[in-house]
Amino acid sequence: MATMSGREYIESLRALKPEVYFLGQRIKNIVDEPMFQPHLHAAAMTYELAHHPEYEEIMTATSHLTGEKINRFTHVHHGIDDLVKKVRMMRLLGQKTGTCFQRCVGLDGLNAIYVTTYDIDQKYGTDYHERFKKYLLEVQKNDWMPAGAMTDARGDRSLRPSKQKHPDVYLHIKERLEDGIIVSGTKAHITGAINSHEIITMPTRTMTEEDRDYSVSFAIPADTKGVTFVFSRQTNDTRRLDGVLDAGNSKYGIVGGEAVIIFRDVFVPWGRVFMAGEYDFTTELVETFAGYHRSNYGGCKVGLADVVIGGSSWIAEAHGIGKASHIIDKLTEMIAMAETCWSCTLACSYEGYRTPSGAYHINPLLANVTKLNITKMVYEWMRLGQDIAGGKIITLPSEKDLDNPESGKILEECFSGKDGFSSRDIIKMLRLVENMSVGAGLPEAMHGAGSPAAQKIMIERRSGIEKKIELAETIAGIRKDRDFETIVGKDEKTHWDEVRKKIEERRVQIY
Amino acid sequence: MFTVGVRYCGGCNPEIDRLRIVIELQEGLREMGHQIDFTTEGERPVDAVLLVNGCKHACLEEKQVASDCGHPVISVRGEMIDDQYVEEGDIIKILIKRIRSFI
Repeated sequence: MATMSGREYIESLRALKPEVYFLGQRIKNIVDEPMFQPHLHAAAMTYELAHHPEYEEIMTATSHLTGEKINRFTHVHHGIDDLVKKVRMMRLLGQKTGTCFQRCVGLDGLNAIYVTTYDIDQKYGTDYHERFKKYLLEVQKNDWMPAGAMTDARGDRSLRPSKQKHPDVYLHIKERLEDGIIVSGTKAHITGAINSHEIITMPTRTMTEEDRDYSVSFAIPADTKGVTFVFSRQTNDTRRLDGVLDAGNSKYGIVGGEAVIIFRDVFVPWGRVFMAGEYDFTTELVETFAGYHRSNYGGCKVGLADVVIGGSSWIAEAHGIGKASHIIDKLTEMIAMAETCWSCTLACSYEGYRTPSGAYHINPLLANVTKLNITKMVYEWMRLGQDIAGGKIITLPSEKDLDNPESGKILEECFSGKDGFSSRDIIKMLRLVENMSVGAGLPEAMHGAGSPAAQKIMIERRSGIEKKIELAETIAGIRKDRDFETIVGKDEKTHWDEVRKKIEERRVQIY
Repeated sequence: MFTVGVRYCGGCNPEIDRLRIVIELQEGLREMGHQIDFTTEGERPVDAVLLVNGCKHACLEEKQVASDCGHPVISVRGEMIDDQYVEEGDIIKILIKRIRSFI
C-alpha cells in the first residue's frame, strides 16, 4: 500500500477532469493553473512529509484494516496516541506551509462517518459501516485526498432545508433507484475541493423527519458527471499573477482554496452511500465531525503562529528594534496565546475516548473550547504581528517597481534595515506577515469548522452546569457535604453549633 | 457470597455521580434479594469487576488491578457502559441487569 510523494500527488490530479470555473472561465488544467498552484503545493506537503524519515512517525500510521503503513490523513484513529499525533501533524504542516494544507477536512469526514455509520447500523441493521470500510480501504490504498463537504449554501436560515424556496440550497436526494441515488444541491466554501481526488459529503445540520431526503452522506470522484466547482476569491488573490514577491506566500497561498460545489442530478451508487434518510443520526455525524475538526485548529493555526512569530521577530531585528522591551513583550504575548491553544488541542486529544465503533474521538467540550479560543486569539496574535511589522505591510511598493531601474535603486535604499539584512529580504518578510495577518486567514480562523456561536452551543450543552451548581451548593452549605462531615467527625449542624458556642465563649473572654 | 470489586477513577471532573450509582446499585440488588459483597479492596479476590469511570476517557481502563484479570469486567465510562451510550438515569438499571447475569 504505497503512499504518494508530493510530486506524485500533483501528477495524480492530471488523471481527473473536474468541471472547474474561476473568474468567469472554465479552467481545464487544474495542475498548471497559476491561481491554483499554491494550494496544490500546500496539499502536496501532506504527502511529501510522509516520505521523510524525520517526519514519518507522525505523518504515517498503521491501518487498522490492513496493518500496513498509510498516510495519517487516511487513517481512522484507534487510540489516544493517534489523536495526539494527528494534532502534532497539524502543527508541523502549519509550520511547513504557513497556510491551510486542506487535507484535514477529509480526514475528519472519514473518521466521523466511520463512527456514525457503525451506530446507524446498530440501530437499523443497515450495512453502511461495511460499505464505508470498503471505501476507506480504497482511500488508503490509493492515498486519496477526499474533500470533506459539509456546509450547504443554506438559503434562508430561518427555514428548515425542506422548506426552502430553492431546494438546491441544500444537498438532497432527488430519487432513490435500485442501484443508487440521484442527488442535487450546493455545498459552499469547501476547502481543497478542486485539488481533491474525491468528495465526501455530510449533512450540515441536525435534520428532522421532514428533512429525511436531506440526511445524506456519500463519496464520489471529483470529476463525477453533474458536479461543478466554482473556485472562490480571496484577499489579494491575483497578486500571485504579478510575480513572486507581492503575494507574500507564493509557494503555498492563503487559506485553503475554497470552492462552491454544485451537484446537478448526480448519480451515486449504493456502495458509496453512507446515510440516506437516517435523520436521527445527523446530529451525531455533524457533532462528531465538528469535534474532530475544531480540535485541529489548535494544531494548524499554532503552526501558522510559529511562522508569524518568527517573521515578526525577524522584522524587529532587521529594523534594529529586536531588543526593545515592547517588542519582546509583544512576542511573548503571541507565544503565550499560541501555546495556550496548543495546550487546548493536546488536552482534547489526551482526554479522548473510544466510541462504540472502536474508533477514538476527541473530548468534544475541550475541542470546542480550543476552536473558540482560536476565533479570538488568531486575531490577537496577528494584530501583534502587524504592530511589530509597522505600517510598511500595507504600503509596500510592488515587485515590478522594485525591478524598475527608474525606481528600484531608491526603493532598495529606502527599505534597507540593519546591516546584514537586504531590502529584498525585509520586503519578503513583510509581505509574508501581510499575507498571513491581513488576508482571508483571519475570517477563516473565525468561521472554519463552525462560527463561534456554534462552539458556544456545544460548550453550553456539554458543560455539566448542574454538577457545577451541586459543587457550589455543597461548599455553600446548602447541600450535604459528606467529605466535610468526615473531616470534622460529625454532622455539619452539630459542628457549626459547637463552633458558634466556642466563638461566644471567646468573645466573652476578649470583651 | 458473590463479590464485585469496585474500582473508582480519580473523579477529577466526572459527568456522572459515581458514588450515588454504586450506592443505588447495591440497594437495588439488595431489594431484589441478592446478597452481593461490593469491595474496593484491590487485594481481595472478586468474582466480577465494576470500573466506575467518571467520563468517557475512562482512565481506569488503562490501569486495572492485577487480581481483576480473568473476571468479567463492566466499565462505566460516564454516560457509557462499555461501548454503549446510555443516559445517566439508566445506568443503575443496566448495571443490575448485567450483574444479575453473572450470578
